[in-house]
Amino acid sequence: MKKRTYLQPLPVRLWHWINALCFFVLIATGAQIRYRDALNLMTFRSAVDIHNIFGFVLLGNFLVWAFYYLVTRKLKIYIPDPNLKNFVLAALKQARYYGYGIFLGEPNPHHATPDHKFNPMQQVAYFNIMLLFMPLQIVSGILMWDIKRFTTVIAFVGGIKFVDAVHVFLTLFFTAFLFVHVYLASLGHPWTQHIKAMFTGYEDEPEDAHAHH
Amino acid sequence: MFTYFGGRTVGKGTYWNLSSGERVDVNENATLPGTSADRYMKLPAGTVFIAGPVAGFAFALVIPFLFLLITLMLLSRTADASSDAALSDEAQACLNCHATPGMTMTFKDKSTQSVHVDQGQFKNTVHGFLSCTGCHSDVSLDTHPQAQYASKHEFLLHLASACRTCHADEQVMANPLHQRAITRANAPPCSECHGSHAIRKVPTQKEKLSSSQYCLTCHKQQLTKSINGESVSLTINEGGLRASVHGKHACTDCHTAYSKEFHPNPKFSSVRELSITASETCKRCHLDKAVQHNGSIHKMLLSQGNSKAPVCSDCHGSHQVGPHALADTLSGVPCKKCHQDIFSAYEGSVHGVARKDGKGQAPICSSCHFAHDVKPTMASRSPKEMCMSCHAQVVAQHEKWLPNTLAHFDAVACTACHVPAGYKRNIYLRVTDGSSGMMLSDTVVRTLLETGKAAASGSGARNISPDQLWDLYRNMNKSRTVSMAGVVNLDDQRHAHHLAPKMQAVRQCEYCHSANSAFFQSVSMAVAKPDGTEKLYKVDAAALSSVFAMLPLNQFYVLGGTRLKVMDYLGAAMILGGIAVPVVHGTLRMLTARLRRARQRH
Repeated sequence: MKKRTYLQPLPVRLWHWINALCFFVLIATGAQIRYRDALNLMTFRSAVDIHNIFGFVLLGNFLVWAFYYLVTRKLKIYIPDPNLKNFVLAALKQARYYGYGIFLGEPNPHHATPDHKFNPMQQVAYFNIMLLFMPLQIVSGILMWDIKRFTTVIAFVGGIKFVDAVHVFLTLFFTAFLFVHVYLASLGHPWTQHIKAMFTGYEDEPEDAHAHH
Repeated sequence: MFTYFGGRTVGKGTYWNLSSGERVDVNENATLPGTSADRYMKLPAGTVFIAGPVAGFAFALVIPFLFLLITLMLLSRTADASSDAALSDEAQACLNCHATPGMTMTFKDKSTQSVHVDQGQFKNTVHGFLSCTGCHSDVSLDTHPQAQYASKHEFLLHLASACRTCHADEQVMANPLHQRAITRANAPPCSECHGSHAIRKVPTQKEKLSSSQYCLTCHKQQLTKSINGESVSLTINEGGLRASVHGKHACTDCHTAYSKEFHPNPKFSSVRELSITASETCKRCHLDKAVQHNGSIHKMLLSQGNSKAPVCSDCHGSHQVGPHALADTLSGVPCKKCHQDIFSAYEGSVHGVARKDGKGQAPICSSCHFAHDVKPTMASRSPKEMCMSCHAQVVAQHEKWLPNTLAHFDAVACTACHVPAGYKRNIYLRVTDGSSGMMLSDTVVRTLLETGKAAASGSGARNISPDQLWDLYRNMNKSRTVSMAGVVNLDDQRHAHHLAPKMQAVRQCEYCHSANSAFFQSVSMAVAKPDGTEKLYKVDAAALSSVFAMLPLNQFYVLGGTRLKVMDYLGAAMILGGIAVPVVHGTLRMLTARLRRARQRH
């Protein structure tokens, strides 16, 4: 009998896929806005309008995420172990797995449960992404959405060129991270294991995944 | 000596009281009766017989005769004045012909001159006592008319020599006006100012004329003044003057130093200097306009020594000042006298065409530039308030289609989009002092350019490079906070007059929001010169997308137009890095697959 874990509740799944759509559209339209000279997917005006709409969808979606995790008190899954020694040891163990053990077929030292969904490396990455990068990306986007309205704020934080640089830098980070994210999502057993869970909510425990010897 | 007074003791003799006629005979020393007021004459009684007849004869004969003589003299004068009979036979002979009204003389060059003489008028002139040949000494009744003159002018010059027979050089030259008029090569003949047969005594002439008429006696003639070889007309077209807005003014209202009694002779080094000085008088009444003109680019140029810069008379004329409305018409606007190229551009613009079509509310030069307070062009400062003073709905209209309308309005001059795209654009970086909001002085920038990194690399005539701009900005910020606000405007402000109908305006976002945009090919840094005008320093256009300009140009950014070049490389590296993770890790997993299978079997 296969063991199934209800790992991705519906709100999380909805949030994830809306977020994914927003990322896809925002990266495409953002590239169109910035690289008019190299890309010609749509007019500048359409790109700006679509970017603005999906930017606000992303904002709303982020608020849904924040609300869900605050209300359900599940935000702690994002917070690394406050015991630094334990955390560093666990993180090193995880890094060793990805850099060495995985090639030898060693089991993943982390076992995802609803209360302990992320391994220490994921915790660091997603903590930063969700609590630092996303808010920064959204705020810088809002500032640029109406630069006249936010003139004083923009001037205070260092000028429109700086705000734009932050926004673009984060976009580049998210874009680069997407490749890693998708690849890592395919490391389940079988490779669809984690991806299926993001659709159905249930992750199947591989029968022999943790007992290679 | 023969007079004695009453109350005094006198010697022997006969005394006559002069007031009562009483005779007092004194034999011995005795006192005369009466007081000292009574006067006595001592005269022997016999002398009365001689003095009586002599006095009687004089009374009867000489005194009536003198009276008669005086009466006759008075009568004869009255008769002289009221009768033609005093004319000499010679004069009478002349007037037989010359009294005919409309009688003219024709010269070889077909010019004509009236030779009619009004006898009555002439008799009352200062020369009324003269006979005709007194002046026309070369005319002989036997051969007249005989003389032939090439022109009227030659004839009048010839006659003027007759005046000089009596009016010697000393007398004539005592008058400074004569000194100027006569010593000239083309000196006018006497009659030009004084007339010919109707010459009156100067006081009489002055008294009868108003001050303006007195001036016009000479100035309606063909008068010119030569200043260092330049000739300037001093002739006043009286009709034009009367028809002008100043038609009711007397000459002396403006030419205050002049009067019937006094005519100064100011010296000028050029005709231009005369015009500039003469325009000073306008402020006597139009002080408000003079104050406005004082703040204008025209006055600034003038004080910098550019004598071509206009003063009042250059735009308004001098003696034929037209009504205010005339200067606001396409045909009457004075600006085109100097700015013809700009005016031609304007005429072809949406505003010029509207004017031509009779739309009086369409702006003309002064609508935007003002009439007297013409300000220097500030390329870095978009004059959109000027446009919006008429186009009040312009924000709402743009908001219908232009996102971030107000942000665009801050950084893009109206003309940047509304002049056809063919005209070159430029980005102006306006350097302002953060605390005062005023444009930074050129002296600060020049000093920094001469001492800073820019000087070290010998920037001189070259554009300011991005790293020089950063160095400049850093140094400027040492003692103050400066900001560089960017404004998109035309490269040449004169092209602003090519404003096209709005259908031809730049409306596609891509005109600006692309790194290929032609609008970002040229950049200037704008600072303030001491005279308030703008000093532009050319900046390397690469500065717009340089990381060095991240802080200096932190207020100017055009999405897709001026992106940071360095972010492109950083982005490429980051995304390649992101892709590298699955590629490298996946490859390693494929390579180690056999290893895992072996371990699994084991």
